[in-house]
Amino acid sequence: MIIANPKKEKKYLNRDNVYLPHMVLIDKIIEETPSVRTIHFHFKDDQMNRDFTFEAGQFAELSVPGTGEATFCISSSPTRKGPLECCINRVGLVTNALHRLGVGAEMGFRGPYGNHFPLESMRGKNIVFVGGGIGLAPLRSLIWNILDERDKYGKIYIIYGARSAGDLCFKYDLDTWQQDKTISTVIAVDKADGNWTGKEGFVSAVLKEESPRADNAIAVLCGPPIMIRNTFPVLEELGFSPEQIFTTLEKKMKCGIGKCGRCNIGNLYVCRDGPVFSYAQIKSFISDEY
Amino acid sequence: MAVKKINKKNIAKVLAVWRREYNIIVPSMATDVPAFSEWDGEDISFLDWYRNTAVPPKSVVLPPMEKMMSFRKEKDGYKTEVSVNEDKQIIFGIRPCDAKGLAIIDDVFTNGYEDYYYASRRRNTLLIGLGCTNPQESCFCTSMDVDLATSKDVDIMFNDTGSEFIAEAFTAGGEYLLKITTGLKNATGTDMKTAKSVELEAKNKLTRALDTRGVSKKLQACFNNEDFWKQVAAKCVSCGICTFLCPTCFCFDINDEMVRKQGARYREWDSCSFRLYTRMPMENPREEKWRRVRQRVCHKFEFYPMNVDIFACTGCGRCIRLCPVNWDITRVIAGLPRQSDVKEKASALKG
Repeated sequence: MIIANPKKEKKYLNRDNVYLPHMVLIDKIIEETPSVRTIHFHFKDDQMNRDFTFEAGQFAELSVPGTGEATFCISSSPTRKGPLECCINRVGLVTNALHRLGVGAEMGFRGPYGNHFPLESMRGKNIVFVGGGIGLAPLRSLIWNILDERDKYGKIYIIYGARSAGDLCFKYDLDTWQQDKTISTVIAVDKADGNWTGKEGFVSAVLKEESPRADNAIAVLCGPPIMIRNTFPVLEELGFSPEQIFTTLEKKMKCGIGKCGRCNIGNLYVCRDGPVFSYAQIKSFISDEY
Repeated sequence: MAVKKINKKNIAKVLAVWRREYNIIVPSMATDVPAFSEWDGEDISFLDWYRNTAVPPKSVVLPPMEKMMSFRKEKDGYKTEVSVNEDKQIIFGIRPCDAKGLAIIDDVFTNGYEDYYYASRRRNTLLIGLGCTNPQESCFCTSMDVDLATSKDVDIMFNDTGSEFIAEAFTAGGEYLLKITTGLKNATGTDMKTAKSVELEAKNKLTRALDTRGVSKKLQACFNNEDFWKQVAAKCVSCGICTFLCPTCFCFDINDEMVRKQGARYREWDSCSFRLYTRMPMENPREEKWRRVRQRVCHKFEFYPMNVDIFACTGCGRCIRLCPVNWDITRVIAGLPRQSDVKEKASALKG
């Protein structure tokens, strides 16, 4: 067999086969919004429960055997032992099937895949989180990771918005963060209804209003594409250089390991070279297909 | 090991010897289109009709559809089973262009995480190359760094000398095959000379060439030239045949099926020509046809070389020969706007 210098990865393989999922059991389900739920789960195999580690920003392939696999970021923090969490928006075949599962049900899990947020280079800096809708899921992993090592970082801003108060995810975390005096948390909705007493407006506008300082800071954003596109210029206006801004991208994926071909942006595969990219990298992308 | 020679009349005997230890896969008309499939133990008529198959030999190691695992739902949860055919096999008669195609796919499936299914089959597969004596009008392999008569990607290379083949082994696996084939004579200097003249004659039959100098840069320069890509894509019908029959295309889809408590996960060839290939519930980055055509051309000649420093095209000509609307990648590459044209146009627009 003629193979040019293969560099092999062998992390958490089930029977040496990267496509074979580990089975996990659902511990708890939190209905975040009418279409979004967070599933807490642990591995059926105790050894995996003991050994499994990941980094904030990485993703996994969850599956319902017989229905299919889909890609989700791990939304719990690597600093916390215990169940893993994934946040699932009900939009397609697999996510609908995942929404039909109950506590105790079994799912398939492959991962963790992809790169992660550059925690090392964020130490000692002020961190500005900008999230929209379900885009809080990957940020939440990083936020808890940073809050669990609070003294290693400077000021922390969390600016989060959703379409309406009913679309806010992780309300229990938002409450905790709002009460935490060491971080400034601003929550807004695009359109306020009767009971909403917080801010109203798009995340990008709220960010401009709050105008966190750019020196010695890193901005991390995630949300729907329109929000990301509108937030980059605001951050640049505030003085953030493209190297100081990070986001995580989403693409259709099947394999999660750079083989099936569909998640490419130019020569890069979002699954293998991402999903975390700096704005500087995104600006140098050959393609506008993101 | 010395170069051996084998009389064409004895090919069936030689294959029969190898067949005791290996499954023998040869070019075949058994299916609707010429493809590689298991040898029946007798028929070697492919030596007469075979120029190249329509379906490339990648189908032997990356089948169009395969079962990755089967599920059974039991009281204490899902039971998952995997079965891969790991029989030793020989692909006999692979052309140098297709051998290079397999080498490209090998790299994709074995670097990083190893693809269990592909690697299990590939590691048990020996390639026996057959020098190309009758290239077709659509072939342009020599432009893509492929040699008609030899290949570094095969275990043994066979070359035609008229009534005989000369056979040279390049790997331990290849040497073993020649060793168990008793009674082979060494090729003489005259045989080598004859093979060389056959090779030259074959080369002269090649009519098509592709100038690949600066292609990646040109593609980069015209990436956002929507008008150009729309023009290029105009007659494409998005049927995907160019990708399915390409020896370097490897994209696949994964799908599940479940009836009552039994189910399976399958993998099938997929194609960047299809709209659904990249569609997500909320958006699709390549909804428009010209974006999908651009993706195919750029993947072969710009993106893939950026990652691996080799064009993901071997000049086999299938995507030209078998396209239902005569779409021609060599014409697209030859017609790429020159960088100076792009600059002139840009400055003209500015002025």
